[in-house]
Amino acid sequence: MNRRTTRAAVTATATQWLLSAWFLLPMIPVMLWAVARTWPAPLPLPSDWGFSGFLDALHDSATSAFGASLILGTLTAVLATPAGAMAAYALAYGHLRGHRSLSVLLIAPAFVPPFVIVMGLNVTLLRLHVPSLAGISLVLMVTAIPYTTFVMRSAFAGYDVTVEDEARMLGASTRAVLTRVRLPLLAPALATSAFLAFLVGWSDYIVTLLIGGGQFVTVPIRIAAAASGTGNEPVIAALSITAAAPPLLLLVTVGLLSRQRRRRRASANPVTHTPAYLTASGALR
Amino acid sequence: MKRFVLLILPAAVPTALVLGAAVTMGVAQSMGLTPVAGGPQSSLDAYSAVASSGELAPAVVISLSIALVATAIAIAVGFTTALAMTTTRFGSKVLKGLAISTIPIPHVIGAAAIGLLLADSGWLARLFGSTAGNWPQFVAGPWWAATIIEYAWKESAFIALVVAATLSRDADELAKTAAVLGAGPAARMRYVTMPLATPALILAGTLSFVYALGSFEVPWLLGRAYPEPLPVLAYRLFTSTDLEVRPQAFAVSMVTMAIALVIGVSALRLFRRQVVTA
Amino acid sequence: MTAAVDLVNLTRTYPTASAPALKGVDLTVEPGQAVAVLGPSGSGKTTLLRLAAGLDAPDDGDIRLNGASVLHLPPQRRGIAMVSQRPLLFPHMSVLDNVAFGPRMAGAGRMQARNTATRYLELVELPGFGRRRTTELSGGQQQRIALARALAATPQVLLLDEPFSALDSELKSQMHQLLLELRAVLQPTIIMVTHDHHEAMLLADSVAIIIGGMLQQHGPAQSLFTHPQSLAVSRFLGGRNEISGEMRGRAFHCKLGVLRLADGTACAQGRAVMVIRQEAVRLVELTATDADTRGIITHAVAHGARTLVEVCAEGVPLQCEVPPGTPIHVGDHVGVALPVSQRQVLLDDPCPAPSRVGTPAVEHVH
Repeated sequence: MNRRTTRAAVTATATQWLLSAWFLLPMIPVMLWAVARTWPAPLPLPSDWGFSGFLDALHDSATSAFGASLILGTLTAVLATPAGAMAAYALAYGHLRGHRSLSVLLIAPAFVPPFVIVMGLNVTLLRLHVPSLAGISLVLMVTAIPYTTFVMRSAFAGYDVTVEDEARMLGASTRAVLTRVRLPLLAPALATSAFLAFLVGWSDYIVTLLIGGGQFVTVPIRIAAAASGTGNEPVIAALSITAAAPPLLLLVTVGLLSRQRRRRRASANPVTHTPAYLTASGALR
Repeated sequence: MKRFVLLILPAAVPTALVLGAAVTMGVAQSMGLTPVAGGPQSSLDAYSAVASSGELAPAVVISLSIALVATAIAIAVGFTTALAMTTTRFGSKVLKGLAISTIPIPHVIGAAAIGLLLADSGWLARLFGSTAGNWPQFVAGPWWAATIIEYAWKESAFIALVVAATLSRDADELAKTAAVLGAGPAARMRYVTMPLATPALILAGTLSFVYALGSFEVPWLLGRAYPEPLPVLAYRLFTSTDLEVRPQAFAVSMVTMAIALVIGVSALRLFRRQVVTA
Repeated sequence: MTAAVDLVNLTRTYPTASAPALKGVDLTVEPGQAVAVLGPSGSGKTTLLRLAAGLDAPDDGDIRLNGASVLHLPPQRRGIAMVSQRPLLFPHMSVLDNVAFGPRMAGAGRMQARNTATRYLELVELPGFGRRRTTELSGGQQQRIALARALAATPQVLLLDEPFSALDSELKSQMHQLLLELRAVLQPTIIMVTHDHHEAMLLADSVAIIIGGMLQQHGPAQSLFTHPQSLAVSRFLGGRNEISGEMRGRAFHCKLGVLRLADGTACAQGRAVMVIRQEAVRLVELTATDADTRGIITHAVAHGARTLVEVCAEGVPLQCEVPPGTPIHVGDHVGVALPVSQRQVLLDDPCPAPSRVGTPAVEHVH
């Protein structure tokens, strides 16, 4: 353990570089195409650089798709975050009858393919004249609930309720306990949960496609339409960057902010929660 | 008690309603119970029709194979990454950063990116100076390579992060304890690190598998036209102008759900057993 | 299964730390002996064990077992086992398989290893616990299993890193008893880190004191208490009496007068401090012939069964512990005896003196 043999060290380094390449490689052509004006076939790099992909996408109403995605993401977050938080709270402290079946129910949407849900629900939504945006939001909310519930459940598992008793003994009202103790301590988990729910709406494809029936055009729908054709590489790349950048920026910002806050109040002890990235991949379905 | 029941309703009611409605209506329509035209008559005609058309069996085989291979690769890569993340500086900084930034990229974009990378006019083909016809047919090819790679790419990041979170608790200290008790590197991996990671691997692997089984956009963009995987087949039948085949779409959909449920439930059982013995 | 341990000039600085965790520590332990390493938290005690176990490498120095360096050996080949403050049982194995782990790694078959493990379970007085899950055990039981697991690996050297500190006092004394019995049977060389003086004195043949990453003193526990080599050691072991003065020849001149030292004790000349344990100081009649000085009782507080009394003599506060039942009244005039054999003179040390009786240290609230 003290001194690794050279061979083992070389293998380890090689593995690390291979893994880095594995995660990085697929995004390289996207980044290149996004800034390529012309890139004829055999050349390994674009022959001419420019932002024609972004301009074309903009001309082709990319902003409205961006707006539609933003609306879906926000709606999903607004609906699924409080629902998940309250459910997690009830499951953590409620001693509910049927605790286990309720847990299974709330995790179940993660195990049912979204197209199965949407196809089954479609006729019902049409019969009841549910507006397509409402229908889409409802399904996306249900799809996001397993993840928001999961994040908040692990947060409550690490939450020491006795700090609330402590606050009460120090004279805090029920309201003050909520706003000054519980919410601040659970804020990081709530932010993670909202971020995940936002991602569910932001990156959805099949739910929007089937319920929206082609009227509701989001960024993923634009990308899929472009990618199913040929010769759209710059537009695909521009849209992909546009769609991937906001959540990534959000992730970096939240990470930096929480690090800064941690440094600022080094003595404070916010509730440990599942990091955003953990359940995020699961949420991207 | 009452308060807690009220609190769980905003999550439980929509979930129960949506899942319940989706499943009942799915089953009903697959049995022709709410036909778009004609009277109500329950039958399994749609199932036998889609089975005898020779589309269902290949779809099941293709979907299961894609999900199985993609998940296997994702587990292998993800576990290796998790080990690097928890034991090396490079892993905990660079690899973790890369895996985290892979997570919020939607699968549609992943599929588009893999297309730009692996198509016969893609970046890799250009990089290797391959002429048309020389480049292996990753996209739309007989081996569904691009589809599998897309799933494996995205899901390996997910699995890596879940497993790393599990291992970051005590695994390193327990491995050191094992070393002091006489376990060499191979024995530590076999008797300590692997068993500790197994529950997380089962859980994350199952989620990945079910996703790969039931996702439409990736095989639709990167796969070949025939045979179709389950979601693509269901989608085509569902959006077909021939309303007679609608029930068949639901039959395919219900078969997919049944497979997903069986896998989900058995994985959950396996997981519970792992956790209990752990 | 016992070995001599030589730690030679062990030095370790962590990359992120400014001060070294260990500075040139030399420690020798004879085969089968038990040494307790005492020190304040953060003094480098755990680092010492991690280096010995091979979980960390020293920047300088050597670690020898029976005279041969083991520095190049990974932990699994050093023949050293360790029990930490946390039991760190393998959560995915039964209790029996935890204990059987060492024998398995040594090449025993599954059945043979389990048979060995069963014997060690009996040794730690937990027979029949083998099939249980580790989570079903209490903290004390888990720690006993951890001890059995370490012993079953038949180590030449057993390292104990505050293994009993998380247990309540009754469990702790049970564990002490167990360890004493195990020592009689198995006789491994033991290096035990603790911050409990009583534990150190009870379980170890000798005590080493590490403060600030440096070995201050190593010797029989009694001698450390009565004859500390530095004020730091004296204070760390709870010594309360420090009398400033000056050494001239064999006599110590201070406000209390001239105090002689026992024959044969060497001491440097000049400004110095005399330390004497509060347990050694005796209150006597004012007129008693063995009274070295006289003073007024200023404070008296209960200290377990005994009473800690402060006497102000010639402006010098002296503290002594008196047996239960001694009548003590604040304001009384008493004689104080400072037994010659217990006097120890040390060079002056700029460290602040420890707090006095009756004036509890109150931290300022910011």
